[in-house]
Amino acid sequence: MRKKIAILLLLFFLIGLLGGCWSRREITEVAIIMGTGVDWTADDRIRLTVQIAKPGDFGAGGEAGAGGKEPPAWVVWAEGKTIEEAERYLAMKVPRDIYWGHSVILVLGEEMAKKGTGMVTNFFHRSRGPRETMWFMVTRGEAKDILETHSELAKTSAQAAGFLTRMETSYAVQSREFAEMLASKGVQPVVTGVEVKETGKAHGPGQENPPVEKEVKLSGVAVFKEDKLIKWLDEHETRGLLWLKGEVKKGAVTVPSPGEPEKEVSIKIRRSSTKIVPEYDGENLWFNVMINVEGDMVEQQSREDLAKPEKIKALESAMAGEIKARAAEALEKAQREYGVDIFGFGDAFHRKYKKEWRELKNRWDEEFSRADVNIAVEAHVREIGLLTTRASTPEE
Amino acid sequence: MAFFSRRRKKTGPADAKPNTRDSGQGSKKQIAQSLLLSPDLDENLRFLKQSFADCSDVVFREFLFAQREQIKLALVYVDGLTNKSQLSDQVMRALSLEIPAATDNTVITKANALHYVKMRGLCIHQVKETENLQEAVEAILSGDSILLVDGHATAVINGSRGWEARSIEESQTQGVVRGPRESFVETLRTNTSLVRRKIKNKDLKIESLTLGEVTRTDIAVAYIKGIVNEDLVTEVKQRLTRIKIDGILESGYIEELIRDNPLSMFPTVGHTDRPDRVAANLLEGRVAIFVDGTPMVLTVPHFFVEAIQTPEDYYEQALFTSFVRLLRIGSLLIALTLPSLYVAIISFHQEMLPTPLLLSIAAQREAVPFPVFVEALLMEIAFEIIREAGIRLPRQVGQAISIVAALIVGQAAVQAGLVAGATIIVVALTAMASFVVYYSGSLAFRLLRFPLMFLAASFGLFGLIAGLIVIVVHMTSLRSFGVPYLAPIGPLVPGDLKDSIVRAPWWAMIKRPHLVGQNNPVREASGMRPKPPQTTAQKGGDADAGRRQN
Repeated sequence: MRKKIAILLLLFFLIGLLGGCWSRREITEVAIIMGTGVDWTADDRIRLTVQIAKPGDFGAGGEAGAGGKEPPAWVVWAEGKTIEEAERYLAMKVPRDIYWGHSVILVLGEEMAKKGTGMVTNFFHRSRGPRETMWFMVTRGEAKDILETHSELAKTSAQAAGFLTRMETSYAVQSREFAEMLASKGVQPVVTGVEVKETGKAHGPGQENPPVEKEVKLSGVAVFKEDKLIKWLDEHETRGLLWLKGEVKKGAVTVPSPGEPEKEVSIKIRRSSTKIVPEYDGENLWFNVMINVEGDMVEQQSREDLAKPEKIKALESAMAGEIKARAAEALEKAQREYGVDIFGFGDAFHRKYKKEWRELKNRWDEEFSRADVNIAVEAHVREIGLLTTRASTPEE
Repeated sequence: MAFFSRRRKKTGPADAKPNTRDSGQGSKKQIAQSLLLSPDLDENLRFLKQSFADCSDVVFREFLFAQREQIKLALVYVDGLTNKSQLSDQVMRALSLEIPAATDNTVITKANALHYVKMRGLCIHQVKETENLQEAVEAILSGDSILLVDGHATAVINGSRGWEARSIEESQTQGVVRGPRESFVETLRTNTSLVRRKIKNKDLKIESLTLGEVTRTDIAVAYIKGIVNEDLVTEVKQRLTRIKIDGILESGYIEELIRDNPLSMFPTVGHTDRPDRVAANLLEGRVAIFVDGTPMVLTVPHFFVEAIQTPEDYYEQALFTSFVRLLRIGSLLIALTLPSLYVAIISFHQEMLPTPLLLSIAAQREAVPFPVFVEALLMEIAFEIIREAGIRLPRQVGQAISIVAALIVGQAAVQAGLVAGATIIVVALTAMASFVVYYSGSLAFRLLRFPLMFLAASFGLFGLIAGLIVIVVHMTSLRSFGVPYLAPIGPLVPGDLKDSIVRAPWWAMIKRPHLVGQNNPVREASGMRPKPPQTTAQKGGDADAGRRQN
């Protein structure tokens, strides 16, 4: 009996050896990818560019990475017919396991985006490594250039681009959200646009013809039709897009001061909401968009007392008018020029008219282009502040 | 003086053979039990000297009675176990020099000498007579002295115990900031007196027995009648009397001999050197087992949650105590799982770390030559070595050694790139966390850390969780004197949660812990929550009325 127990115990412990260290992957054996870029090359191949962190240069201690301005990341690329093929070629250059789990951004080159994102996202959504929370973006040039830029604040340019997106000053899209937009017929995808900006700052002293520093900058949004990039919206129009999508979380609206129109007043947005109500009578389709916004007055160039109710009213209507103009601008461009519903009007319609949606969904973009849209903005200025004219500018 | 219960045998003169002693050379041990003293002092002394042959610490002192020199007396005691000044002042001097003359002119003769000695001569509080030689021998060995009077077959046992003992000091193992400082010592009577001073109640029963065939160690079982479950006392006593062993040198012997699940790593018998903890345990309906020769008193039944409870918890504010208890739970979990969690995440689940943390750890690990499991294991073992050395090494070299250990393990290993800084942090935090709960409470976790690390290194978090499940299943199966070890959490006893991982204020803990105190559940009046007095001032608005009422 005792012998039997001993043998059983022995076998039990040997099980551990049989399993080995299943799927073990030491931290020193992986190449941690910080950012991923995909380009469509001139000879019709896919080029996968990755930015790999050089852990030795991330030394927290100080002795490591102290010399030189060498970025603590390595940008390396490989080409292939598919992303996976490119990755396998990449594996021939990278002496460690390629590890996607911490990739912050997935950036597509303009050519790649025009060719269709389906060739790219399929791999990233299927495989286990990459996160669905990667910031998805399209550059106006080549994705490789974005990954090769430098950042003054973040350690790597991939992190810099990720943080920029996260600040929600522009329209931010995660890989998963892009997939959702792509799957819905009621909305066409829009993706954060980025571009490379030359700061004009010299790379190092004492060098002749010093190379110029390059940094990542947000630049509007890319407008897609299905999975193909068609056009861009600039920063101005992007604000309008955000208003219509109800995604404005921070920012300011600047309007002329009611009494002194040549001076400006800025109102910082506290909260906003957008409601899209579709109306359809079987023939005519129109939308009522209600934007509700609250803000605080934070800056005033004029010297008038804005705390009076009628001044506040005037300020609020000026603010509403400004927001409406912005929204109308973006709407005009999407409806008339690009002919794509990037605002999700189709989803709103789907929610209200389920049966009718079935007929309209396959020609939704045409229907959308013909639809009338009424934009109503209700703006409230909540705080004027206590700094009166006298305190900010001395009386003459 | 009442420790003879097991061996005491009322042997009347009728059933003893008067002549056994004269031929008593053979199997002395068996015969001695029924041996009686002889009226002849010399014969008694001869027998005792024979019994204590080669015992150089036994003193035989013969002297003469003060006024009647024909009456011989003898004092027998063990040198070092008795209070010598008491013996010489209150026995020798009193009897050989100062015994006063009887006021009624009674002449002291051989026949009434014993009566005089006992009633007038001896200035000792505890005096007892015996006719049994064996009882006299045991009395001598326990530190009492016996006085033999010529012509009387009776020995007077003087309660003159007094030996070198450590004084009552501050508790070394369970110190507190607020609360009594005293701790138990090695003397059983001192220990029981410390508890008696806290519980001045006739219902505090302290029963005695002797264990250890050779050491004859005194054991005391304490409980409060009316609160304790009588079945529990019976069970404790039954388990104690089962013990047949040559010696008991520490309460740990008894703990291992009476505990449930003898092979489990988790302590199902509690121990403490704090009188207030023992008193609190008794008040909740537990039983305490005192062992002579050790300051550690056992308490049963013992729950797992007691590992995170300290006496101070009941003296400090309830809210703060609850916070500290949660902290201790957290520390226990850290002590148990942190190294394995670290190994699992670093070698399997890097995606669980925030990116900057991952990069920082990766940077540290870049130059380290070993896999993280080997590294963590080496450091854990190194720390256990330092800890063990810290306990054993002589005080004088302690500081030097700990500096060297800290420098080598901490500084040099990291600088040489042999160990990552993060590993040092994990090991150090684990070590500190294991000291947050009291020493013996964390022993199981210190040990279980290693198998968990193996599991984590082979199967990642999956292995770690599997290991934790096995541990929890095992703990759930444990019983301590019939009470589930994980109570009041598993099984859930809602009322007892008031004093488990949090503590309710005293006015809210109206009932004793259900599983030990159900015999007498209510420990305090309800509705004692302090509140402003209901005065007429509040009703009528007259401030003075309120003051008068108070």
